[in-house]
Amino acid sequence: MRNLLIGLLLLALAFIWGCDAGNQVRVAVAGPFTGSNAAFGEMIKRGATLKAKEINDAGGITTNEKDEAGEFIKKELILDFENDTGKEKEAIAVATRISTNPRILAVIGHFNSACSLRGKTIYGRKGIVALSPGSTNVKVCEGSDWMFRNLYRDDFQAAFIAKYIKNKLTDLTTVAVFYDNDAYGKGLADAFLAEAEVIGLSVVAKESYDRDNTDFKAQLTSIKAKNPDIIFISGLYSQAGLIVKQARESGITARFFGADGVDSPDFLEIAGDAAEGTLLTTPFTFGAGGDQALKVAEAFKTEYGVDPDTWAALSYDAVGMIAEAIEKTYKKESSIEDKRKAIRDHLADIDTPEEGYTGITGLTYFDINGDTVNKPAYVKIVKDGKFDTAEQQMLE
Amino acid sequence: MAQFLEQIMNGLVLGGIYALIAVGYTMVYGIIQLINFAHGEIFMFGAYFAFTLVTFLDIPFWIALPMSMILCAVLGMIIDVIAYRPLRDASRLSALITAIGMSIGLQNLAQLIWKADQRTIRSDLLPSFFLGENAINLPGGAALPYRDLFIIVLALVLMVGLNRLIHLTKVGKAMRACAQNKVASNLMGINTNQVILITFAIGSALGAVAGVMVGLREVIEPMMGYYKGVAAFAAAVLGGIGNITGAMLGGILIGLAEALGAGYIDSSYRVAFAYIIMIAVILVRPSGLLGKSTGTRA
Repeated sequence: MRNLLIGLLLLALAFIWGCDAGNQVRVAVAGPFTGSNAAFGEMIKRGATLKAKEINDAGGITTNEKDEAGEFIKKELILDFENDTGKEKEAIAVATRISTNPRILAVIGHFNSACSLRGKTIYGRKGIVALSPGSTNVKVCEGSDWMFRNLYRDDFQAAFIAKYIKNKLTDLTTVAVFYDNDAYGKGLADAFLAEAEVIGLSVVAKESYDRDNTDFKAQLTSIKAKNPDIIFISGLYSQAGLIVKQARESGITARFFGADGVDSPDFLEIAGDAAEGTLLTTPFTFGAGGDQALKVAEAFKTEYGVDPDTWAALSYDAVGMIAEAIEKTYKKESSIEDKRKAIRDHLADIDTPEEGYTGITGLTYFDINGDTVNKPAYVKIVKDGKFDTAEQQMLE
Repeated sequence: MAQFLEQIMNGLVLGGIYALIAVGYTMVYGIIQLINFAHGEIFMFGAYFAFTLVTFLDIPFWIALPMSMILCAVLGMIIDVIAYRPLRDASRLSALITAIGMSIGLQNLAQLIWKADQRTIRSDLLPSFFLGENAINLPGGAALPYRDLFIIVLALVLMVGLNRLIHLTKVGKAMRACAQNKVASNLMGINTNQVILITFAIGSALGAVAGVMVGLREVIEPMMGYYKGVAAFAAAVLGGIGNITGAMLGGILIGLAEALGAGYIDSSYRVAFAYIIMIAVILVRPSGLLGKSTGTRA
């Protein structure tokens, strides 16, 4: 009797499974949906959901499968959100869960570089594509056939910041570097220091902090003693917000420069008035985007009541790109391994501007590693409690 | 010199916060030999209570602070009644595991209620005294916000007060009696359960003050109790667990070690310095700086 019950249950499960797979395709979105950088996760979730909704409202993803009338069947795109909380330990669990789920075709994520680096081995071993809309650490795509990203790398970003300070902020001559001691923060800081040496930018202090820290006074006091004109914070918005706030309390008057990790409205909330005048780089800004970007921004605002940020835009494009890859490669008769492999081969073939995917953040195509190297960095500034596109850009 | 003075101030403020939390660990340990891991979470709830009262219920900060202390005192007592009292005669390991469970449970409860986002109390809702920009200027350009001075002074005043309470009042005498021998004090007509409840209430209220202050200085998040709690626990052990003056001393030492280590040696090992000091002391004096050495190992 018991065996019979279990058997029935299994049958029912198989039935549900079968039905489900019949008219849907699944893609996982992995990111920090809770934890100290949940604000990024929220924007990723919204941007990705918006694109998936647009695709599904237009009928879904066309596949090579035909119905009785000989028409191509359109499949609904389902996003599975997997929370890695921005921590490496969770990222391993999430990556394993995703890659062993035979219904998931590809991954959008992870966001944090440290998480992408953890996922890299697992995705490579199981053979599933991960397209990151946020990881900028240099090593994320290196040496793996399965990792891609649709934004710039930290070596580019860090060199850009160093050059920008040197060439555009000529009245500011001495720099302090304050970095988060993880893959993203340290990688970015190292690249910045290397470039500073090359172009002759004077770095007077170098301090680090731990992600769990919320008190930065000791390091800030050390930085203050060196009296820098500008402080480069190589870390994420929640710590950066506190650093800026506590620095002003400690009587530090230097300006602040952040990288894309600081690019979140929550930075403004945490730092309050202290954020004023902070400069930061970002892979994309709606102010510099075309009409299509503005249209999406409007739809986003109607849907969620807030303005989209850089990460929402990059996630929006990542979903679009993966959806296109599925549409072009999906074969019903293929095994899951072959379906995943076909997506990879398709993405790897997008290696010239002509073949590139045009999204709202511009053209995306990959180099041999899977990196995007054509996207420029934009500079934003905090003005009247809001992010604004800085007057001086350095796009050449 | 100014830099050194400022680092000492950074260390003292941090030390004051650790001391306020450490007292909660040490009092409870002194009386029932339990490491109350949920104490860090009471500290965290203190910050959230003040945040909620000020932000959503429009209660002035000066009233919200004592209210948050009272709420945490009640929370501490509830935890004792539901989680620890039933296990009073069980093995100490069972109570310890329960404490860890309580800690994780409360962390998740806070995430459920207030979400995992980082919160701060809006500056326009705070008395100007507590805003970071209002500070005393120290010689050499260093600045000490009134709020941070308040933390140090408050920590000192509460410590002295607590010390007097324990040595001069009847309740204090009962606490000391319970710490020495619970059965004997019971026989002398002391209601031990009541004394333990009072201990939890006092420790939790002090933890709440520390929580609110950290909420003002830094940020309020569900994991804050864990990070600060571990350091405060180290402070209690360093000072000699069970000894209130020791907890104070340990807190200040750990705070100074963090600030000076990060300021002068290497900021990547900031937290490590605190533990290096603790381990060094424990190696030389296993019962901590002011702890009594006992003949039998517990």
